[in-house]
Amino acid sequence: MTSTPRIMFTGVGAVCGAGLGVDVIWSAILEGRSAVAPIRQWDSSRWPARMAAEVAEASIQTLVEDRRLHKFISRTDMFGLYAAQGAIQQSGVLAYREKLEAPAVTRFNDRSGIFVGSGGGVYKNNYDFLPLITAGGGDLKGFGQELTSTVNPMWLLRHLPNNVLCYIGIRHGFKGTNACITNQCVSGVMAVAEAAAALRSGEADRAVAAGHDAPIEPETVLHYHKLGLLADDAVRPFDRDRRGTVFGEGAAAFVLETEEAARSRKVGILGEFLGSGCSTEGTGVVGVRPDGDGLSRAIELAIADAQVSREEVGLIVAHGNGTWASDASEANAIRKVFGDRPPPVTAFKWAYGHSIAASGAIDLAMALRALREGVVPGIPTLNSLDSALAPLPVSQKPQSLRGSVAVVACRGFGGMNAALVVRAGPVSLAQ
Amino acid sequence: MNSRRRVAITGIGMVTPLGHDAPTTWAGLLAGRSGLGRIQGFDAQGFPVRIAGEVKDFRPETTIGDRRLLKYASRPTGFALVAAEEALRDAGLRPDALTGHQWGLSVGAGMLGVAFADLETVHRHCAADGEFHADGFLDSRFPVDPVAFCRSQTNAGLGLLAQHFGIRGYATAVHTACASGGQALGTALKVMRRGHANFMLAGGFDSMINPVGLSGFCLLGALSTDNDTPHQASRPFDKTRNGFVLGEGAGFLVLEEWASAQARGARIYAELAGDGNSLSSYRITDSHPSGDGPIQAMQQAMQDAGLGVEDVDYVNAHGTSTQMNDRSECAALRAVFGSHIERVAVSSTKSCMGHLIAAAGAVEAGVCALAIRDGVAPVNANLAEPDPECGVNLIRGQSRPMQIRAAISNSLGFGGSNSCLVLRHPDETAAPAGRGRPPFAKATA
Repeated sequence: MTSTPRIMFTGVGAVCGAGLGVDVIWSAILEGRSAVAPIRQWDSSRWPARMAAEVAEASIQTLVEDRRLHKFISRTDMFGLYAAQGAIQQSGVLAYREKLEAPAVTRFNDRSGIFVGSGGGVYKNNYDFLPLITAGGGDLKGFGQELTSTVNPMWLLRHLPNNVLCYIGIRHGFKGTNACITNQCVSGVMAVAEAAAALRSGEADRAVAAGHDAPIEPETVLHYHKLGLLADDAVRPFDRDRRGTVFGEGAAAFVLETEEAARSRKVGILGEFLGSGCSTEGTGVVGVRPDGDGLSRAIELAIADAQVSREEVGLIVAHGNGTWASDASEANAIRKVFGDRPPPVTAFKWAYGHSIAASGAIDLAMALRALREGVVPGIPTLNSLDSALAPLPVSQKPQSLRGSVAVVACRGFGGMNAALVVRAGPVSLAQ
Repeated sequence: MNSRRRVAITGIGMVTPLGHDAPTTWAGLLAGRSGLGRIQGFDAQGFPVRIAGEVKDFRPETTIGDRRLLKYASRPTGFALVAAEEALRDAGLRPDALTGHQWGLSVGAGMLGVAFADLETVHRHCAADGEFHADGFLDSRFPVDPVAFCRSQTNAGLGLLAQHFGIRGYATAVHTACASGGQALGTALKVMRRGHANFMLAGGFDSMINPVGLSGFCLLGALSTDNDTPHQASRPFDKTRNGFVLGEGAGFLVLEEWASAQARGARIYAELAGDGNSLSSYRITDSHPSGDGPIQAMQQAMQDAGLGVEDVDYVNAHGTSTQMNDRSECAALRAVFGSHIERVAVSSTKSCMGHLIAAAGAVEAGVCALAIRDGVAPVNANLAEPDPECGVNLIRGQSRPMQIRAAISNSLGFGGSNSCLVLRHPDETAAPAGRGRPPFAKATA
């Protein structure tokens, strides 16, 4: 009888408005530099909500080396592929595979999974059809007749939500178990959870898990603004003057391996996956339960899955999107789980905005780094904690870790909640 | 590893081009009836392809009483709500305030959330000259519609299903193109095995029969252009096949832990016994001609179910009716089944329903469950001249009465994701243990 294997993180890659690579993003956070600025993807000078954390246009073309591929993928895919490449490189799995004999390579590839959380793009994908509507002269008959001369034949393929999954596979020959999760904000976190579950159940020996998104588009900004979800200056998680969130974009990716797979190649361990939890509130598309019920259950499930005690949790990376309702219910959820003395809490969206499907994945990358460095970064935009949310150990200044385990909380539309529990690396592996 | 939880299928719901429920769909499939025809939902005259499998006269309000909820539901979400309601009613079980936390939800959802009418509104205000100007949205006359915004969100269907049926546990939406529905059921199986839910509502829903969706596939040249003979246009494995026909709809299953389903005396259609899931990593639209990719998915699924090729009697093939897919899938079947290939009955029910994209795998898994229950494998319609290169035992002419101990359902997606599900006859599952194999090769190492 084999016991459930432990799951290790052996590679991390990330990109967001705060920079390219985990080191750059982490430095920005420690130095209190926010990437939130007026939107540059279109002329936003007249827009009432015009702030976002965009990836610099100049660097986007550098994200994916293979230039031929650029025609077949979209902006969000560039982020996902860049992050995945970083994670795979850091893990050293490719160098390890090179040393294997042919039959072992086949087995290696068949037992390498890929799990991607994808935003999928909502509106702008369809804008490629706007010239066709004009060319068609306002009726569908003309639209159909002009189709092939007006729209790129690769349109559909370019916008497949599962492109990152597909191209990681093609590039590296990984052929194992896989999924592309399209569950809005929690997609990236659930990709990590499903990858870990696949390793635990023995379906794969290693997996790439990624979350990516590029939600900064005019129609989305318009609707979020009209719903009162966007701040016009900055994200101020848990602050009494919080006015909403701002969009970010980017990706984070991880290589997860079973303890046995990691040990067999004597690799550096960046952290350990301990558990995940997921729950729904059943509040429709945009509703949030004020009592934080869905999120508290997700955190409790993740802690139980991780087989740790609440006291071992030394850091909570909150979703902290800066909207009035979500932050309030999140504080309720944290107090419901941890009582009056929660561990230190921080949130990172002040630095790189809310990148929807990628948000939880980037937060996880930062959580692993925070555990390693032994510091809970402060929230520079937090001037005064909303007294209705106290006690909640958030601070403008860095705090000390209370233990070596972190909870990463994530929530989104559809009343979705997900949480991960991870342990600091380097982890000593059993001999 | 301890003995794993077994998962029973106790409810089935379908909305398809053949009917608004599972019994009508199933009767249509058994009779080899075509649900395909000229596109009625919009003016497709100018398109190179003018045929599809539409869900006709669909009125979700006759099944779903919550009119306010339906305002937030896109057409495919409406399919999902109706099919899920049928599945729960069929199972005689639904989440309530006490059990809602034990219920999970796993869906394969389509990639297009925005209604064409909403794109036309954007065109009028932001791109009348064909070029997009973002400031058009700031015009006070732009009709900002928060309900349309909600409808278009990628997980809106998931959120509305959870809300309407009172599901409070694990919830996920997956999209791996044509493999989505199969992967959603596979995910549900895994979630139940690892104890993260005791009950799952799982399925898929999609509609790409709109100007943008139809365009996407027309541009790729993936669709049959047999506009004058829609009933014969989808002919998987026929030598003259020339592309697939778009369908739309939803399929949902209710999954329960085996012992508790038995304890409450539930009618068990089949065991959802195994899931196999692989990536072709070859090309974005094709599998390797050798079947590499689907081969691994089928092998894993059978191993996962503890079955060998000798135990499988029926394959519901992905069988899209494109030249490449059908040939590659048959190569995979021959590689997997070896000498058993002549015994195993194969059909593609896309011959009658068309290709339901993200819903296909879920509907077809339901078809396998019904085939097991009734002891009859549905016909592969329109098979006038079987492609000699396919070389599998196709069900021609009429549906075939036969004992089905286990069936497999293949779903192979753009992007290279391959899903294979194994469904097992309940009597086979209930039979004394002793023939089971370890769930994964790994566990024996």
